[in-house]
Amino acid sequence: MQEKVKAQPILSMNSVEVLYDNVMLAIKGVSVQVPKGEMIALLGSNGAGKSTTLKAISGLLKAERGRVSRGEIKFEGTDMTGMLAQNRVDMGICHVIEGRRVFEHLTPDENLTAAAPTGMSRSVLSAEKEKIYAYFPRLAERRNSLSGYLSGGEQQMLAIGRALVTQPKLLMLDEPSLGLAPFLVAEIFGILKKINEEEGMSVLLVEQNALAALEIVSEGYLIENGRVVMNGTAEALKSNSDIQEFYLGGGEGTDFHNVKHYSRRKRWLS
Amino acid sequence: MDWIFLSELAINGALTGLLYSLFAIGLVLIYKASSVPNLAQGGLTMVGAYVVLALSHDAGLPLWLAIPLAAVIMFGLGFGIERVALRRLAGRPVVMILMMTLGLDIFLRGTTLAIWGGTSRSMELGVSYDPLFLGDIFVSRIHLVGAGVAIGLFVAFMLFFRSRTGIKLRAIADDYMASWSVGISVERGVGLSWALASVVAVAAGVIWGEIQGVDQALSLLLLKGLTVAVLGGLDSILGAVVAGIILGIIENVGSDFLDPLVGGGSRELIVAAVLILTVMIRPHGLFGRHDIERV
Repeated sequence: MQEKVKAQPILSMNSVEVLYDNVMLAIKGVSVQVPKGEMIALLGSNGAGKSTTLKAISGLLKAERGRVSRGEIKFEGTDMTGMLAQNRVDMGICHVIEGRRVFEHLTPDENLTAAAPTGMSRSVLSAEKEKIYAYFPRLAERRNSLSGYLSGGEQQMLAIGRALVTQPKLLMLDEPSLGLAPFLVAEIFGILKKINEEEGMSVLLVEQNALAALEIVSEGYLIENGRVVMNGTAEALKSNSDIQEFYLGGGEGTDFHNVKHYSRRKRWLS
Repeated sequence: MDWIFLSELAINGALTGLLYSLFAIGLVLIYKASSVPNLAQGGLTMVGAYVVLALSHDAGLPLWLAIPLAAVIMFGLGFGIERVALRRLAGRPVVMILMMTLGLDIFLRGTTLAIWGGTSRSMELGVSYDPLFLGDIFVSRIHLVGAGVAIGLFVAFMLFFRSRTGIKLRAIADDYMASWSVGISVERGVGLSWALASVVAVAAGVIWGEIQGVDQALSLLLLKGLTVAVLGGLDSILGAVVAGIILGIIENVGSDFLDPLVGGGSRELIVAAVLILTVMIRPHGLFGRHDIERV
Protein backbone atom coordinates (compact mmCIF):
# COMPACT_ATOMS: atom_id res chain seq x y z
CA MET A 1 0.00 0.00 0.00
CA GLN A 2 1.51 3.25 -1.03
CA GLU A 3 0.27 6.25 0.92
CA LYS A 4 1.52 9.29 -0.87
CA VAL A 5 0.94 12.69 0.58
CA LYS A 6 -0.10 14.99 -2.22
CA ALA A 7 -1.33 18.51 -2.61
CA GLN A 8 -5.11 18.85 -2.53
CA PRO A 9 -6.45 17.12 -5.61
CA ILE A 10 -8.24 19.30 -8.16
CA LEU A 11 -10.85 16.59 -8.52
CA SER A 12 -11.84 13.98 -6.03
CA MET A 13 -14.53 11.44 -6.51
CA ASN A 14 -15.51 9.37 -3.53
CA SER A 15 -17.34 6.05 -3.85
CA VAL A 16 -19.62 7.32 -6.58
CA GLU A 17 -22.48 5.18 -7.82
CA VAL A 18 -24.34 5.98 -11.02
CA LEU A 19 -27.83 4.77 -11.85
CA TYR A 20 -29.32 4.93 -15.33
CA ASP A 21 -33.13 5.10 -15.58
CA ASN A 22 -33.22 4.46 -11.82
CA VAL A 23 -32.49 0.78 -12.37
CA MET A 24 -29.18 0.13 -14.04
CA LEU A 25 -26.14 0.48 -11.83
CA ALA A 26 -23.35 1.51 -14.18
CA ILE A 27 -20.57 2.28 -11.73
CA LYS A 28 -20.45 0.90 -8.24
CA GLY A 29 -18.45 3.03 -5.87
CA VAL A 30 -15.69 4.55 -7.97
CA SER A 31 -13.11 6.72 -6.23
CA VAL A 32 -10.68 8.68 -8.35
CA GLN A 33 -8.36 11.54 -7.42
CA VAL A 34 -6.80 13.85 -9.96
CA PRO A 35 -3.90 15.83 -8.44
CA LYS A 36 -3.51 19.37 -9.73
CA GLY A 37 -1.45 19.59 -12.89
CA GLU A 38 -1.16 15.84 -13.36
CA MET A 39 -2.26 13.55 -16.16
CA ILE A 40 -4.27 10.58 -15.01
CA ALA A 41 -5.61 7.70 -17.09
CA LEU A 42 -8.71 5.59 -16.58
CA LEU A 43 -8.13 2.26 -18.26
CA GLY A 44 -10.42 -0.66 -18.80
CA SER A 45 -12.26 -2.61 -21.42
CA ASN A 46 -15.56 -1.88 -23.17
CA GLY A 47 -18.50 -1.21 -20.88
CA ALA A 48 -16.35 -1.09 -17.77
CA GLY A 49 -17.81 2.26 -16.72
CA LYS A 50 -15.07 4.64 -17.83
CA SER A 51 -17.31 6.90 -19.92
CA THR A 52 -19.96 6.89 -17.21
CA THR A 53 -17.33 8.04 -14.73
CA LEU A 54 -16.45 10.99 -16.97
CA LYS A 55 -20.09 11.87 -17.51
CA ALA A 56 -20.69 11.82 -13.77
CA ILE A 57 -17.90 14.38 -13.43
CA SER A 58 -18.99 16.61 -16.32
CA GLY A 59 -22.70 16.45 -15.55
CA LEU A 60 -23.64 14.99 -18.93
CA LEU A 61 -25.34 12.03 -17.25
CA LYS A 62 -28.56 13.96 -17.01
CA ALA A 63 -28.95 14.01 -20.78
CA GLU A 64 -28.91 10.22 -20.74
CA ARG A 65 -31.28 9.91 -17.80
CA GLY A 66 -28.55 8.87 -15.44
CA ARG A 67 -27.78 10.25 -12.00
CA VAL A 68 -25.26 9.98 -9.23
CA SER A 69 -27.09 7.97 -6.62
CA ARG A 70 -24.37 7.83 -4.01
CA GLY A 71 -21.03 9.35 -3.20
CA GLU A 72 -19.72 12.81 -3.87
CA ILE A 73 -17.69 14.60 -6.52
CA LYS A 74 -15.59 17.53 -5.40
CA PHE A 75 -13.84 19.97 -7.69
CA GLU A 76 -11.31 22.23 -6.00
CA GLY A 77 -12.97 21.42 -2.71
CA THR A 78 -16.55 22.33 -3.70
CA ASP A 79 -19.15 19.62 -3.93
CA MET A 80 -20.72 19.67 -7.38
CA THR A 81 -22.64 16.44 -7.41
CA GLY A 82 -25.96 18.00 -8.41
CA MET A 83 -24.72 20.84 -10.58
CA LEU A 84 -25.72 21.54 -14.20
CA ALA A 85 -23.22 20.68 -16.92
CA GLN A 86 -22.82 24.30 -18.02
CA ASN A 87 -21.97 25.45 -14.49
CA ARG A 88 -19.29 22.80 -14.29
CA VAL A 89 -17.80 24.08 -17.54
CA ASP A 90 -17.80 27.56 -15.99
CA MET A 91 -15.94 26.14 -12.99
CA GLY A 92 -13.29 24.74 -15.29
CA ILE A 93 -14.18 21.19 -16.21
CA CYS A 94 -14.46 20.34 -19.87
CA HIS A 95 -15.31 16.96 -21.29
CA VAL A 96 -14.29 15.95 -24.81
CA ILE A 97 -16.99 13.39 -25.47
CA GLU A 98 -16.47 10.09 -27.21
CA GLY A 99 -16.62 9.90 -30.99
CA ARG A 100 -15.15 13.37 -31.76
CA ARG A 101 -18.52 15.02 -32.13
CA VAL A 102 -17.61 18.32 -33.71
CA PHE A 103 -20.33 20.66 -34.97
CA GLU A 104 -20.27 19.29 -38.49
CA HIS A 105 -22.12 22.08 -40.23
CA LEU A 106 -19.92 24.77 -38.73
CA THR A 107 -16.38 25.61 -39.75
CA PRO A 108 -13.56 24.84 -37.29
CA ASP A 109 -13.36 28.54 -36.56
CA GLU A 110 -17.07 28.66 -35.73
CA ASN A 111 -16.70 25.51 -33.64
CA LEU A 112 -14.22 27.36 -31.48
CA THR A 113 -16.43 30.45 -31.33
CA ALA A 114 -19.42 28.37 -30.28
CA ALA A 115 -17.55 27.04 -27.27
CA ALA A 116 -16.40 30.46 -26.06
CA PRO A 117 -17.78 31.34 -22.63
CA THR A 118 -20.45 34.05 -22.79
CA GLY A 119 -18.35 36.65 -21.02
CA MET A 120 -15.18 36.15 -23.04
CA SER A 121 -14.10 39.32 -24.82
CA ARG A 122 -13.40 39.35 -28.52
CA SER A 123 -9.67 39.91 -28.08
CA VAL A 124 -9.29 37.10 -25.53
CA LEU A 125 -11.22 34.80 -27.84
CA SER A 126 -9.01 35.50 -30.83
CA ALA A 127 -5.87 35.10 -28.70
CA GLU A 128 -7.26 31.81 -27.45
CA LYS A 129 -7.98 30.69 -31.02
CA GLU A 130 -4.47 31.55 -32.17
CA LYS A 131 -3.05 29.54 -29.29
CA ILE A 132 -5.16 26.55 -30.28
CA TYR A 133 -4.16 26.89 -33.93
CA ALA A 134 -0.56 26.97 -32.78
CA TYR A 135 -1.03 23.66 -30.99
CA PHE A 136 -2.87 22.18 -33.97
CA PRO A 137 -1.44 23.72 -37.16
CA ARG A 138 -3.52 21.32 -39.28
CA LEU A 139 -6.67 23.02 -38.00
CA ALA A 140 -5.37 26.45 -38.90
CA GLU A 141 -5.04 25.36 -42.51
CA ARG A 142 -8.66 24.26 -42.65
CA ARG A 143 -10.21 26.80 -40.35
CA ASN A 144 -12.82 27.89 -42.89
CA SER A 145 -13.88 24.58 -44.42
CA LEU A 146 -16.84 22.61 -43.12
CA SER A 147 -15.89 20.56 -40.05
CA GLY A 148 -17.90 17.57 -41.21
CA TYR A 149 -15.42 17.09 -44.02
CA LEU A 150 -12.29 17.11 -41.85
CA SER A 151 -10.40 13.84 -41.43
CA GLY A 152 -10.86 11.82 -38.27
CA GLY A 153 -7.63 13.08 -36.76
CA GLU A 154 -8.44 16.69 -37.57
CA GLN A 155 -11.89 16.30 -36.03
CA GLN A 156 -10.36 14.92 -32.85
CA MET A 157 -7.97 17.86 -32.76
CA LEU A 158 -10.90 20.21 -33.27
CA ALA A 159 -12.84 18.54 -30.48
CA ILE A 160 -9.88 19.05 -28.15
CA GLY A 161 -9.35 22.62 -29.36
CA ARG A 162 -13.02 23.36 -28.83
CA ALA A 163 -12.72 22.16 -25.25
CA LEU A 164 -9.62 24.32 -24.72
CA VAL A 165 -11.58 27.47 -25.64
CA THR A 166 -13.56 27.05 -22.44
CA GLN A 167 -10.24 27.48 -20.59
CA PRO A 168 -10.59 24.37 -18.47
CA LYS A 169 -8.54 23.60 -15.40
CA LEU A 170 -9.39 19.95 -15.83
CA LEU A 171 -9.61 18.52 -19.31
CA MET A 172 -11.31 15.14 -19.64
CA LEU A 173 -10.99 13.12 -22.82
CA ASP A 174 -13.03 10.06 -23.72
CA GLU A 175 -11.08 7.74 -26.01
CA PRO A 176 -9.35 10.33 -28.16
CA SER A 177 -7.40 7.57 -29.92
CA LEU A 178 -10.48 5.69 -31.11
CA GLY A 179 -10.27 4.80 -34.79
CA LEU A 180 -7.15 6.85 -35.45
CA ALA A 181 -3.91 5.72 -37.08
CA PRO A 182 -1.06 5.14 -34.60
CA PHE A 183 0.96 8.10 -35.85
CA LEU A 184 -2.03 10.39 -35.27
CA VAL A 185 -2.52 8.96 -31.79
CA ALA A 186 1.12 9.72 -31.07
CA GLU A 187 0.74 13.24 -32.45
CA ILE A 188 -2.39 13.99 -30.45
CA PHE A 189 -1.04 12.49 -27.24
CA GLY A 190 2.16 14.48 -27.72
CA ILE A 191 0.15 17.68 -27.98
CA LEU A 192 -1.88 16.75 -24.90
CA LYS A 193 1.33 16.22 -22.94
CA LYS A 194 2.61 19.57 -24.16
CA ILE A 195 -0.59 21.37 -23.12
CA ASN A 196 -0.43 19.65 -19.76
CA GLU A 197 3.15 20.76 -19.19
CA GLU A 198 2.91 24.27 -20.61
CA GLU A 199 -0.38 25.31 -19.07
CA GLY A 200 -0.37 23.14 -15.98
CA MET A 201 -3.77 21.84 -17.06
CA SER A 202 -4.87 18.69 -15.26
CA VAL A 203 -5.94 15.91 -17.60
CA LEU A 204 -8.14 12.89 -17.04
CA LEU A 205 -7.79 10.53 -19.96
CA VAL A 206 -10.07 7.58 -20.63
CA GLU A 207 -8.46 5.03 -22.89
CA GLN A 208 -8.69 1.47 -24.10
CA ASN A 209 -5.34 1.97 -25.73
CA ALA A 210 -3.46 1.44 -22.47
CA LEU A 211 -0.12 1.21 -24.19
CA ALA A 212 -0.31 4.73 -25.57
CA ALA A 213 -1.97 6.18 -22.48
CA LEU A 214 0.55 4.86 -19.98
CA GLU A 215 3.33 6.54 -21.93
CA ILE A 216 2.09 10.02 -21.11
CA VAL A 217 0.22 9.81 -17.81
CA SER A 218 1.75 9.77 -14.37
CA GLU A 219 -0.85 7.58 -12.74
CA GLY A 220 -3.58 5.22 -13.84
CA TYR A 221 -6.76 3.63 -12.56
CA LEU A 222 -8.02 0.35 -13.89
CA ILE A 223 -11.80 0.02 -13.99
CA GLU A 224 -13.63 -3.25 -14.50
CA ASN A 225 -17.36 -3.90 -14.09
CA GLY A 226 -17.95 -0.47 -12.63
CA ARG A 227 -15.27 -0.72 -9.94
CA VAL A 228 -11.74 0.49 -9.61
CA VAL A 229 -9.70 -2.69 -9.40
CA MET A 230 -6.21 -1.29 -9.54
CA ASN A 231 -4.50 2.04 -9.07
CA GLY A 232 -0.86 2.99 -9.29
CA THR A 233 1.79 5.01 -11.03
CA ALA A 234 2.21 4.52 -14.75
CA GLU A 235 5.46 2.62 -14.20
CA ALA A 236 3.89 0.33 -11.62
CA LEU A 237 0.98 -0.42 -13.93
CA LYS A 238 3.21 -1.01 -16.92
CA SER A 239 5.25 -3.57 -15.04
CA ASN A 240 2.26 -5.33 -13.51
CA SER A 241 1.98 -8.75 -15.08
CA ASP A 242 -1.84 -8.77 -15.17
CA ILE A 243 -1.96 -5.42 -16.90
CA GLN A 244 0.63 -6.63 -19.35
CA GLU A 245 -1.30 -9.73 -20.16
CA PHE A 246 -4.79 -8.25 -20.43
CA TYR A 247 -4.22 -4.69 -21.60
CA LEU A 248 -0.78 -4.39 -23.11
CA GLY A 249 -0.85 -7.54 -25.24
CA GLY A 250 1.76 -9.59 -23.46
CA GLY A 251 5.18 -8.17 -22.85
CA GLU A 252 8.01 -10.55 -23.29
CA GLY A 253 8.12 -13.52 -25.64
CA THR A 254 6.18 -16.58 -24.63
CA ASP A 255 7.62 -20.01 -24.23
CA PHE A 256 5.00 -22.11 -25.96
CA HIS A 257 6.14 -25.28 -24.20
CA ASN A 258 4.96 -23.90 -20.93
CA VAL A 259 1.88 -22.12 -22.16
CA LYS A 260 -1.12 -22.83 -19.96
CA HIS A 261 -3.94 -24.59 -21.72
CA TYR A 262 -6.71 -22.69 -20.06
CA SER A 263 -7.41 -19.03 -20.34
CA ARG A 264 -6.58 -17.14 -17.24
CA ARG A 265 -9.36 -15.28 -15.55
CA LYS A 266 -9.16 -11.75 -14.43
CA ARG A 267 -9.06 -12.94 -10.85
CA TRP A 268 -10.16 -9.60 -9.38
CA LEU A 269 -13.56 -10.03 -10.97
CA SER A 270 -14.79 -12.91 -8.84
CA MET B 1 -50.68 36.84 -73.56
CA ASP B 2 -50.28 40.35 -72.38
CA TRP B 3 -46.77 40.91 -71.04
CA ILE B 4 -47.80 43.67 -68.71
CA PHE B 5 -50.48 41.50 -67.23
CA LEU B 6 -48.03 38.63 -66.85
CA SER B 7 -45.45 40.78 -65.10
CA GLU B 8 -48.15 42.18 -62.87
CA LEU B 9 -49.08 38.63 -61.88
CA ALA B 10 -45.43 37.79 -61.31
CA ILE B 11 -44.66 40.88 -59.24
CA ASN B 12 -47.72 40.55 -57.07
CA GLY B 13 -46.99 36.85 -56.75
CA ALA B 14 -43.47 37.63 -55.61
CA LEU B 15 -44.77 40.13 -53.05
CA THR B 16 -47.27 37.63 -51.68
CA GLY B 17 -44.46 35.09 -51.71
CA LEU B 18 -42.34 37.38 -49.55
CA LEU B 19 -45.21 37.45 -47.08
CA TYR B 20 -45.04 33.65 -46.98
CA SER B 21 -41.32 34.08 -46.38
CA LEU B 22 -42.10 36.41 -43.50
CA PHE B 23 -43.99 33.53 -41.93
CA ALA B 24 -41.44 30.89 -42.93
CA ILE B 25 -38.54 32.78 -41.34
CA GLY B 26 -40.06 31.92 -37.97
CA LEU B 27 -40.08 28.23 -38.85
CA VAL B 28 -36.49 28.37 -40.05
CA LEU B 29 -35.32 30.14 -36.88
CA ILE B 30 -36.52 27.31 -34.68
CA TYR B 31 -35.30 24.62 -37.04
CA LYS B 32 -31.89 26.23 -37.30
CA ALA B 33 -31.49 26.30 -33.54
CA SER B 34 -33.00 22.99 -32.52
CA SER B 35 -33.61 20.85 -35.61
CA VAL B 36 -37.32 20.73 -34.85
CA PRO B 37 -39.95 21.77 -37.42
CA ASN B 38 -42.30 23.95 -35.39
CA LEU B 39 -45.89 23.09 -36.27
CA ALA B 40 -47.11 25.71 -33.81
CA GLN B 41 -45.80 28.63 -35.85
CA GLY B 42 -49.28 29.19 -37.32
CA GLY B 43 -50.74 29.30 -33.84
CA LEU B 44 -48.05 31.72 -32.71
CA THR B 45 -48.72 34.01 -35.66
CA MET B 46 -52.41 34.05 -34.84
CA VAL B 47 -51.72 34.77 -31.16
CA GLY B 48 -49.30 37.52 -32.20
CA ALA B 49 -52.06 39.20 -34.20
CA TYR B 50 -54.55 38.84 -31.35
CA VAL B 51 -52.14 40.29 -28.82
CA VAL B 52 -51.61 43.34 -31.04
CA LEU B 53 -55.38 43.71 -31.35
CA ALA B 54 -55.87 43.33 -27.61
CA LEU B 55 -53.33 46.05 -26.93
CA SER B 56 -54.44 48.46 -29.64
CA HIS B 57 -58.21 48.01 -29.95
CA ASP B 58 -59.12 46.68 -26.53
CA ALA B 59 -56.61 48.59 -24.39
CA GLY B 60 -56.57 51.62 -26.63
CA LEU B 61 -52.83 51.91 -27.18
CA PRO B 62 -51.59 53.45 -30.42
CA LEU B 63 -50.31 50.92 -32.96
CA TRP B 64 -46.72 52.14 -32.89
CA LEU B 65 -46.67 51.23 -29.21
CA ALA B 66 -48.90 48.17 -29.36
CA ILE B 67 -46.80 46.29 -31.92
CA PRO B 68 -43.43 46.54 -30.10
CA LEU B 69 -45.17 45.76 -26.81
CA ALA B 70 -46.78 42.71 -28.38
CA ALA B 71 -43.34 41.68 -29.64
CA VAL B 72 -41.98 41.86 -26.10
CA ILE B 73 -44.90 39.84 -24.73
CA MET B 74 -44.51 37.22 -27.44
CA PHE B 75 -40.75 37.08 -26.81
CA GLY B 76 -41.58 36.13 -23.24
CA LEU B 77 -44.20 33.63 -24.40
CA GLY B 78 -41.59 31.94 -26.62
CA PHE B 79 -39.27 31.47 -23.67
CA GLY B 80 -42.22 30.26 -21.60
CA ILE B 81 -43.14 27.60 -24.15
CA GLU B 82 -39.60 26.21 -24.05
CA ARG B 83 -39.56 26.20 -20.26
CA VAL B 84 -42.96 24.59 -19.73
CA ALA B 85 -43.46 22.35 -22.74
CA LEU B 86 -40.16 21.57 -24.39
CA ARG B 87 -37.44 21.42 -21.75
CA ARG B 88 -38.42 18.01 -20.47
CA LEU B 89 -38.38 16.71 -24.04
CA ALA B 90 -34.81 17.80 -24.80
CA GLY B 91 -32.87 14.85 -26.12
CA ARG B 92 -36.01 12.80 -26.84
CA PRO B 93 -36.87 11.64 -30.36
CA VAL B 94 -37.82 14.48 -32.69
CA VAL B 95 -41.19 12.89 -33.36
CA MET B 96 -42.28 13.52 -29.77
CA ILE B 97 -41.25 17.16 -29.97
CA LEU B 98 -43.08 17.45 -33.30
CA MET B 99 -46.26 16.12 -31.72
CA MET B 100 -45.79 18.56 -28.86
CA THR B 101 -45.65 21.50 -31.28
CA LEU B 102 -48.80 20.21 -32.99
CA GLY B 103 -50.47 20.03 -29.60
CA LEU B 104 -49.34 23.59 -28.87
CA ASP B 105 -50.86 24.77 -32.14
CA ILE B 106 -54.23 23.25 -31.26
CA PHE B 107 -53.95 24.65 -27.75
CA LEU B 108 -53.21 28.18 -28.99
CA ARG B 109 -56.09 28.05 -31.45
CA GLY B 110 -58.44 26.88 -28.72
CA THR B 111 -57.23 29.56 -26.33
CA THR B 112 -57.82 32.44 -28.76
CA LEU B 113 -61.24 31.01 -29.55
CA ALA B 114 -62.10 30.96 -25.86
CA ILE B 115 -60.83 34.47 -25.15
CA TRP B 116 -61.65 36.44 -28.28
CA GLY B 117 -64.23 34.28 -30.03
CA GLY B 118 -64.20 33.24 -33.66
CA THR B 119 -65.44 36.33 -35.42
CA SER B 120 -62.97 37.84 -37.79
CA ARG B 121 -61.65 41.23 -36.66
CA SER B 122 -59.77 43.74 -38.73
CA MET B 123 -56.30 44.99 -37.89
CA GLU B 124 -56.77 48.55 -39.18
CA LEU B 125 -53.13 49.31 -39.74
CA GLY B 126 -54.03 52.43 -41.64
CA VAL B 127 -52.16 51.46 -44.79
CA SER B 128 -54.01 52.98 -47.72
CA TYR B 129 -55.85 50.71 -50.14
CA ASP B 130 -55.57 53.21 -52.98
CA PRO B 131 -54.05 51.50 -55.98
CA LEU B 132 -50.34 52.08 -56.40
CA PHE B 133 -49.05 52.03 -59.94
CA LEU B 134 -45.44 51.24 -60.71
CA GLY B 135 -45.42 52.17 -64.36
CA ASP B 136 -48.38 50.24 -65.70
CA ILE B 137 -48.32 47.65 -62.98
CA PHE B 138 -50.73 47.69 -60.10
CA VAL B 139 -49.41 46.59 -56.72
CA SER B 140 -50.96 46.44 -53.28
CA ARG B 141 -49.43 48.78 -50.72
CA ILE B 142 -49.85 46.42 -47.76
CA HIS B 143 -48.10 43.67 -49.68
CA LEU B 144 -45.26 46.06 -50.41
CA VAL B 145 -44.98 46.95 -46.72
CA GLY B 146 -45.04 43.29 -45.74
CA ALA B 147 -42.37 42.42 -48.30
CA GLY B 148 -40.20 45.19 -46.90
CA VAL B 149 -40.62 43.81 -43.37
CA ALA B 150 -39.72 40.32 -44.61
CA ILE B 151 -36.54 41.56 -46.26
CA GLY B 152 -35.63 43.60 -43.19
CA LEU B 153 -36.01 40.55 -40.94
CA PHE B 154 -34.05 38.46 -43.43
CA VAL B 155 -31.08 40.84 -43.26
CA ALA B 156 -31.32 41.10 -39.48
CA PHE B 157 -31.29 37.32 -39.01
CA MET B 158 -28.53 36.74 -41.55
CA LEU B 159 -26.36 39.03 -39.43
CA PHE B 160 -27.61 37.43 -36.22
CA PHE B 161 -26.52 33.93 -37.26
CA ARG B 162 -22.99 35.20 -37.79
CA SER B 163 -22.83 36.64 -34.30
CA ARG B 164 -21.53 34.60 -31.40
CA THR B 165 -25.00 33.87 -30.04
CA GLY B 166 -26.16 32.90 -33.53
CA ILE B 167 -23.23 30.51 -33.96
CA LYS B 168 -24.08 28.92 -30.62
CA LEU B 169 -27.65 28.36 -31.80
CA ARG B 170 -26.39 26.66 -34.96
CA ALA B 171 -24.11 24.53 -32.83
CA ILE B 172 -27.08 23.43 -30.72
CA ALA B 173 -28.95 22.36 -33.85
CA ASP B 174 -25.94 20.29 -34.85
CA ASP B 175 -25.41 18.34 -31.65
CA TYR B 176 -27.14 18.80 -28.28
CA MET B 177 -24.71 16.58 -26.38
CA ALA B 178 -21.59 18.25 -27.76
CA SER B 179 -23.14 21.64 -26.97
CA TRP B 180 -23.71 20.67 -23.35
CA SER B 181 -20.17 19.36 -23.14
CA VAL B 182 -18.67 22.77 -23.89
CA GLY B 183 -21.02 24.62 -21.60
CA ILE B 184 -23.56 25.92 -24.10
CA SER B 185 -26.93 26.20 -22.44
CA VAL B 186 -29.04 24.21 -24.89
CA GLU B 187 -32.19 25.05 -22.97
CA ARG B 188 -31.59 28.78 -23.15
CA GLY B 189 -30.62 28.57 -26.81
CA VAL B 190 -33.78 26.72 -27.78
CA GLY B 191 -35.78 29.16 -25.67
CA LEU B 192 -34.19 32.09 -27.48
CA SER B 193 -35.01 30.62 -30.87
CA TRP B 194 -38.65 30.22 -29.84
CA ALA B 195 -38.69 33.75 -28.49
CA LEU B 196 -37.31 35.16 -31.74
CA ALA B 197 -39.72 33.06 -33.80
CA SER B 198 -42.56 34.45 -31.68
CA VAL B 199 -41.42 37.98 -32.47
CA VAL B 200 -41.40 37.10 -36.17
CA ALA B 201 -44.90 35.74 -35.60
CA VAL B 202 -46.03 39.18 -34.43
CA ALA B 203 -44.74 40.73 -37.66
CA ALA B 204 -46.39 38.05 -39.79
CA GLY B 205 -49.57 38.24 -37.71
CA VAL B 206 -49.89 41.99 -38.14
CA ILE B 207 -49.37 41.92 -41.91
CA TRP B 208 -51.49 38.86 -42.58
CA GLY B 209 -54.11 40.04 -40.08
CA GLU B 210 -54.42 43.24 -42.09
CA ILE B 211 -54.75 41.27 -45.34
CA GLN B 212 -57.18 38.54 -44.38
CA GLY B 213 -58.57 39.64 -41.01
CA VAL B 214 -57.68 38.29 -37.59
CA ASP B 215 -59.27 34.96 -36.77
CA GLN B 216 -58.28 31.34 -36.30
CA ALA B 217 -57.73 30.96 -40.05
CA LEU B 218 -54.42 32.78 -39.57
CA SER B 219 -52.94 29.60 -38.12
CA LEU B 220 -53.56 27.85 -41.45
CA LEU B 221 -50.75 29.95 -42.92
CA LEU B 222 -48.61 27.13 -41.56
CA LEU B 223 -49.34 25.07 -44.67
CA LYS B 224 -47.92 27.64 -47.07
CA GLY B 225 -45.18 28.67 -44.69
CA LEU B 226 -44.09 25.07 -44.28
CA THR B 227 -44.05 24.60 -48.05
CA VAL B 228 -41.83 27.65 -48.42
CA ALA B 229 -39.53 26.54 -45.59
CA VAL B 230 -39.19 23.02 -47.01
CA LEU B 231 -38.57 24.30 -50.53
CA GLY B 232 -35.95 26.70 -49.21
CA GLY B 233 -34.33 24.01 -47.11
CA LEU B 234 -35.76 24.31 -43.55
CA ASP B 235 -32.56 25.68 -42.04
CA SER B 236 -31.78 28.40 -44.54
CA ILE B 237 -33.12 31.91 -44.07
CA LEU B 238 -31.97 32.85 -47.55
CA GLY B 239 -33.79 29.74 -48.74
CA ALA B 240 -37.00 30.88 -47.06
CA VAL B 241 -36.85 34.21 -48.89
CA VAL B 242 -35.95 32.79 -52.29
CA ALA B 243 -38.45 29.94 -51.99
CA GLY B 244 -41.15 32.36 -50.90
CA ILE B 245 -40.65 34.44 -54.03
CA ILE B 246 -40.59 31.32 -56.22
CA LEU B 247 -43.71 29.83 -54.67
CA GLY B 248 -45.54 33.15 -54.84
CA ILE B 249 -44.80 33.55 -58.54
CA ILE B 250 -45.59 29.94 -59.47
CA GLU B 251 -48.80 30.11 -57.50
CA ASN B 252 -50.01 33.41 -58.93
CA VAL B 253 -49.02 32.87 -62.54
CA GLY B 254 -49.81 29.15 -62.54
CA SER B 255 -53.26 29.55 -61.05
CA ASP B 256 -54.07 32.22 -63.63
CA PHE B 257 -53.37 29.68 -66.36
CA LEU B 258 -54.93 26.70 -64.63
CA ASP B 259 -58.00 28.18 -63.02
CA PRO B 260 -59.98 28.58 -66.26
CA LEU B 261 -59.10 24.98 -67.15
CA VAL B 262 -60.06 23.31 -63.87
CA GLY B 263 -62.68 25.79 -62.78
CA GLY B 264 -60.81 27.43 -59.89
CA GLY B 265 -59.03 26.29 -56.76
CA SER B 266 -55.75 25.45 -58.43
CA ARG B 267 -53.73 27.60 -55.99
CA GLU B 268 -53.87 25.01 -53.25
CA LEU B 269 -53.02 22.30 -55.75
CA ILE B 270 -49.93 24.15 -56.89
CA VAL B 271 -48.76 24.64 -53.31
CA ALA B 272 -49.34 20.97 -52.54
CA ALA B 273 -47.52 19.92 -55.70
CA VAL B 274 -44.52 22.08 -54.81
CA LEU B 275 -44.34 20.59 -51.32
CA ILE B 276 -44.68 17.00 -52.50
CA LEU B 277 -42.23 17.38 -55.37
CA THR B 278 -39.65 19.08 -53.15
CA VAL B 279 -39.73 16.27 -50.64
CA MET B 280 -39.51 13.69 -53.43
CA ILE B 281 -36.85 15.27 -55.61
CA ARG B 282 -34.78 17.48 -53.34
CA PRO B 283 -35.50 16.71 -49.70
CA HIS B 284 -32.96 19.20 -48.37
CA GLY B 285 -34.52 21.98 -50.41
CA LEU B 286 -32.78 24.68 -52.39
CA PHE B 287 -30.30 25.85 -49.78
CA GLY B 288 -30.69 23.39 -46.91
CA ARG B 289 -27.77 21.64 -45.33
CA HIS B 290 -26.97 18.11 -46.39
CA ASP B 291 -26.25 15.43 -43.90
CA ILE B 292 -22.53 15.06 -44.12
CA GLU B 293 -21.31 11.60 -44.90
CA ARG B 294 -17.62 11.13 -45.27
CA VAL B 295 -16.43 8.27 -47.40
